[in-house]
Amino acid sequence: MMIAMSFFRAIVEREFMQFALITGLLIGFLAPLIGSFVVIRRLSLIADTLSHFSLAGIAIGLYFINILGVGFLSDPLYLGMLFAVIGSLIIELLRNYYKNYKEISMPIVISLGTALSALFISLSGGFTSSVYNYLFGSILTVGRVFTFIIIGVTILISGLLVVFYKQMVIISFDESYAKLLGIRVNIFQFFTTIILALVVSLSIETVGVLLVSSLMIIPVAAAMKIGKSFKNTLFLAIIFSEISVVMGLWLSFELSFPSGATIVLFNISIFLVVIILRRLIKRKNLRDNESEALL
Amino acid sequence: MRINVNNLSFGYDYRTVLKDVSFKLESGDFLVIIGNNGSGKSTLIKCLLGINKVPNKKIYLDDININDYRRWINIGYVPQKFDDFNYEFPITVNEILSVSKYGKITEDERLIWLDKLGILELQNENINNLSGGQLQRVFIVRALVNKPKLLILDEPTVGVDSTNIERFYNTINDLNKMGVTVILITHDIKSSKANFSHIMHLYNGTAVMKKIDRNVGDSS
Ligand SMILES: Nc1ncnc2c1ncn2[C@@H]1O[C@H](COP(=O)(O)OP(=O)(O)O)[C@@H](O)[C@H]1O
Ligand SMILES: [Mg+2]
Repeated sequence: MMIAMSFFRAIVEREFMQFALITGLLIGFLAPLIGSFVVIRRLSLIADTLSHFSLAGIAIGLYFINILGVGFLSDPLYLGMLFAVIGSLIIELLRNYYKNYKEISMPIVISLGTALSALFISLSGGFTSSVYNYLFGSILTVGRVFTFIIIGVTILISGLLVVFYKQMVIISFDESYAKLLGIRVNIFQFFTTIILALVVSLSIETVGVLLVSSLMIIPVAAAMKIGKSFKNTLFLAIIFSEISVVMGLWLSFELSFPSGATIVLFNISIFLVVIILRRLIKRKNLRDNESEALL
Repeated sequence: MRINVNNLSFGYDYRTVLKDVSFKLESGDFLVIIGNNGSGKSTLIKCLLGINKVPNKKIYLDDININDYRRWINIGYVPQKFDDFNYEFPITVNEILSVSKYGKITEDERLIWLDKLGILELQNENINNLSGGQLQRVFIVRALVNKPKLLILDEPTVGVDSTNIERFYNTINDLNKMGVTVILITHDIKSSKANFSHIMHLYNGTAVMKKIDRNVGDSS
């Protein structure tokens, strides 16, 4: 009780906690929303790929700022965002190049991203605490500017999704039918990938490069096993994700647990609970039906 | 919709599948295509749908060269297989129909189609829980939600039980009577209730087409 009190008081009184909460809730909303479309199209690996490529941008940014003293970037995350977009373009190019082995594009881009990251992290002074934060996230340190960026991006993406909802759903479920309806599938794909890149790079602040994809995929994986409809599934995924964000934030504030890891572990716990409950309910229904049949 | 095909040949890689196919259909015609497996039936309709790219001046839809055609919404299509659909992620029948709709049909009309094909009670069911025959009928309704002027159906009754096959043919015949051009690929033309006006036999990519006197008043 005492512990919870201080958490709530901190949210009311401390600006950094407000930024953390707003950022966390908005990312917790965006990640599974975009993640759903990624999962339907069997592109779950793309988030991981983009986050690793984004890390290369961050590492290069750190090198510029710390070693070369170039200050115009102010925050290496901007270069990280740019790299996520560049990475997504490389993926699209490679996917068109290897039409029948599209997933080849992912390991190639991951490798390039990881290699560049390792190189520039070492050039810019090795494994510092800020590198650690980019890898595993540090939601309690997000600033005012970043919070406003997230608010803007959330409004933009939600607006686009409302306007292009039909097209997005048809393209995800049935690309050939979408083409048949005359929808410009390639253009949609292009912009979706860029939006994905933005969300991935923004999520890095909360859970870090290594855990970004879990934020997008795991709540969706849990929701799709129990969702009654498409909208219901999106809703559940967002609820699961928000619960994890709030719980993760709380524990990382109280016990100084790393926020990203805590959020993701909550996500996985929810996933496990959902899977186990679903099995139990299924088995119970089966038993009920059997005993009914016997009567 | 009016269709004009002139000396169309088409192949995949080095293999020719369609050889010099020509035919004409007017609005309100009903063409049945028959032929052995692999004779090129699906290939032909994929040319009409713009899925298979053909040279200019080979196919005209409503007198527009197919490569310049843009009003694809006027064409309803039920593919032979639904392999391209991403299953397992939840989505209901209603949801898939409402995102497939681009404004021409009302809520009521959609429910009427669902009812006519005997799947009204499935409207809030998850697509992943449907049987093959039920799914087939959902995709038939999907082909109807934009009020097409041309309806192309590739073996649409496979897996559907006989009561519902009859419902299906009644629906298609009614639509055809209202002026919708229909192209239907089927294997069970003898037992079907299709009230068709033309029949095409594809034999190794060569087409032979005949006009049929319609049995008037039979399908009401
Ligand atoms: N996408 C494709 N690529 C290569 N060959 C194909 C393709 N689709 C069909 N074929 C070949 O073209 C021939 C005609 O196929 P299809 O039009 O599907 O026949 P039908 O529908 O009459 O059974 C078959 O030999 C088939 O193997
Ligand atoms: Mg076929």
